[in-house]
Amino acid sequence: MSNPLSRAKFIDTKLLGRKRTVVEKIVSEEEIEPLMKELETDTTISRDEVKHTCQELFEKVINKEEVVLDRKFHRRYLDLAFGSTLPPQLTALDASQPWMLYWIANSLKVLDPTWLTDDIKNAIQEKIFKLSEVPHQGGPFGGGVGQLAHMAGTYASVNALAVCDNISGCWDKIDRQALYDWLLALKQPDGGFKTCLEVGEADTRGVYCALTLASLLNILTDELREGTVEYLVKCQNYEGGFGGSPQEDEAHGGYTFCAVASLAILNSLDKINLEKLMEWCSLRQTNEEGGLAGRSNKLVDGCYSFWVGATSAILESRGWDSSIDKKVLRDYILICCQSSHEPGLRDKPGKHSDFYHTMYILFGLVITENTFKDQGGHLCHNIEAKLIDSYKFIPSDLQGINPVYGLPIDDTKLFMNHFRNIDKK
Amino acid sequence: MEFNIEDYKDVDRLPITTGLEDELCAIMYTDEYKEVMGIARSLFQSKEFSNRAKRLTSKVIQLAPAYYTIWNYRYEIIESEIKKMSEPDSTNFLNKELSWLDEITLNNPKNYQIWSYRQAIIKLHPNPDLKLEFPIISMMIDDDTKNYHVWSYRKWCILYFQDFSNELTFCDNFIQRDVYNNSAWTHRMFVWKNLNPSKVQIMDELNYLKEKIELVPQNISVWTYLRGLYENFLNDQYDQEIINFAETFINGLFDNTTTLPKIESTYALEFLADIYSRNPETLQNSITAYNALSIKYDPVRINFWNHKLKKLTPCA
Repeated sequence: MSNPLSRAKFIDTKLLGRKRTVVEKIVSEEEIEPLMKELETDTTISRDEVKHTCQELFEKVINKEEVVLDRKFHRRYLDLAFGSTLPPQLTALDASQPWMLYWIANSLKVLDPTWLTDDIKNAIQEKIFKLSEVPHQGGPFGGGVGQLAHMAGTYASVNALAVCDNISGCWDKIDRQALYDWLLALKQPDGGFKTCLEVGEADTRGVYCALTLASLLNILTDELREGTVEYLVKCQNYEGGFGGSPQEDEAHGGYTFCAVASLAILNSLDKINLEKLMEWCSLRQTNEEGGLAGRSNKLVDGCYSFWVGATSAILESRGWDSSIDKKVLRDYILICCQSSHEPGLRDKPGKHSDFYHTMYILFGLVITENTFKDQGGHLCHNIEAKLIDSYKFIPSDLQGINPVYGLPIDDTKLFMNHFRNIDKK
Repeated sequence: MEFNIEDYKDVDRLPITTGLEDELCAIMYTDEYKEVMGIARSLFQSKEFSNRAKRLTSKVIQLAPAYYTIWNYRYEIIESEIKKMSEPDSTNFLNKELSWLDEITLNNPKNYQIWSYRQAIIKLHPNPDLKLEFPIISMMIDDDTKNYHVWSYRKWCILYFQDFSNELTFCDNFIQRDVYNNSAWTHRMFVWKNLNPSKVQIMDELNYLKEKIELVPQNISVWTYLRGLYENFLNDQYDQEIINFAETFINGLFDNTTTLPKIESTYALEFLADIYSRNPETLQNSITAYNALSIKYDPVRINFWNHKLKKLTPCA
């Protein structure tokens, strides 16, 4: 490509590949300052659509300060999920059953702890222990009955138990020794963790699940963490965020959260380039929609309110400035991710709500309404959330969350202290 | 041979539900699903490594591609078969397995178990061939140009085979098609970081990049890439030429700061703000730039701009 191309208007469409004809487009001045040239590609076409639908919703709102989370409406969605059999289309989640329990229970708990009733807590723990790979053992857990133990399934299972307040002594039924041996078996020579024995991917998600499990259950030994900081450091790429594995993968919100939360647990945030990380997080937020995208030049999605929002909150808890504009993100969540027609929360306008988005958006919402501070102690167990008073809004009345563990603060502390108290004896 | 339920008459159908009364989040499975998965559980548990077991795994994967247990089981079956074979049978056998996988992949573009399975098969393969990997990768990226798992798999392949010769052209195709494709740009950086490029190569790459920046100045991917090149290959030292280049996109903002002009790229301004912050003589420009970004050009990132300003003016 030696042909000097200068500016959009001189572009020869033949040089620009197939599929799309190139159109020079001047973004209208009203949309946003400054005036900028855009080249119409798949990226701008899909982005313009989202901008437009969000804009329409924003225009309908008279006073943003009065927009509220429709708590009772969303509760209906969660109660219905726990109160009925799921339709055959959800067979796609057959290998993610503990995830459903975690997403729904955690959502109820963060909305109002009393909405997660003892009956449901009991039903959760009964089901989780049926998912143990070895029957009648307390983990590790698979995605469904008779399925192999899986890192993600075990993470979701243990987190689902964590919000059940040790009902029926379920916390003591977790087989910590079996979990520990299994985590060690999944550990890779490069410091990473596989998600499953034999065929299973190794990425920062595997590391996050392994470390949070070990940290929550008080089985995080030197052997388990050996080489892991080095592995994670290598996952930060030139963009400032983290990719899935140490091979210069593209920076991504989900993998970045996993890496940063893991480094926080390992008390090694100083080993990475934090300035670049903050910059990368701040770049995820768009002026027009106000939501966060998971990667550069991708679309906003409500779930990144948690993945990127929590990354920022973790840094904040250690004394760094917030990387995102919480007020603007909150507007995106409340105006674009909830709909009066359908309970539950959604990725963006035009999408249906689902359990995954409902939980991570609720958790993202907590981040937008609070400031975070790690009060010290060990392994991020003592992060406090304080309601923001610097801007006006009607609080959503949600429980404070621990951004590292993805659980309400109270549940995180109770669960962690439970095992620490046992081990002290 | 096609899947036929008659071949499994002798196999117990194990339950796939917990049997708990009022089980939470129980799924209303179809009868076919329950039966096939029940057979699968049974064979899997007894570790039957047979042709009919392999046929069954194909069926299960068709019904539930995210059911990771079955991918593991299939891998064990393939592995046990390979142990019994010698060359060239094992090569042919595994090539057939990869072709089968291609078809499954095309029907399940979002599934990612597929890619770790593919890695495992390549590692098992006595004569794997990178060229045989390219068609499916290209088809998948062509269909979904930012598919994370496929780009990541391509990187893994390139490292495994240590052949970077096709990569720059491959990236260029996707960049030509959509200059905003961040996956293609990050793949390009992956290539350079593995190649130990000469100074001449980096200068050529800079020229390539500048053309793309001129094409669309308001594109985060290209500016991040520009900084990546300098940080990794040019000691993070910015010459006057690149500064002049960036200044062409900010419409003389520093000449007249009483009225902030319309600019072509906020990222160019951010780039300049960073460079200017390093030299006491240009520090004031840096402060001006961060303030302008905060007030007018990119206000949603106000916390980050304030963070930068705080570092530049610690006493303020």
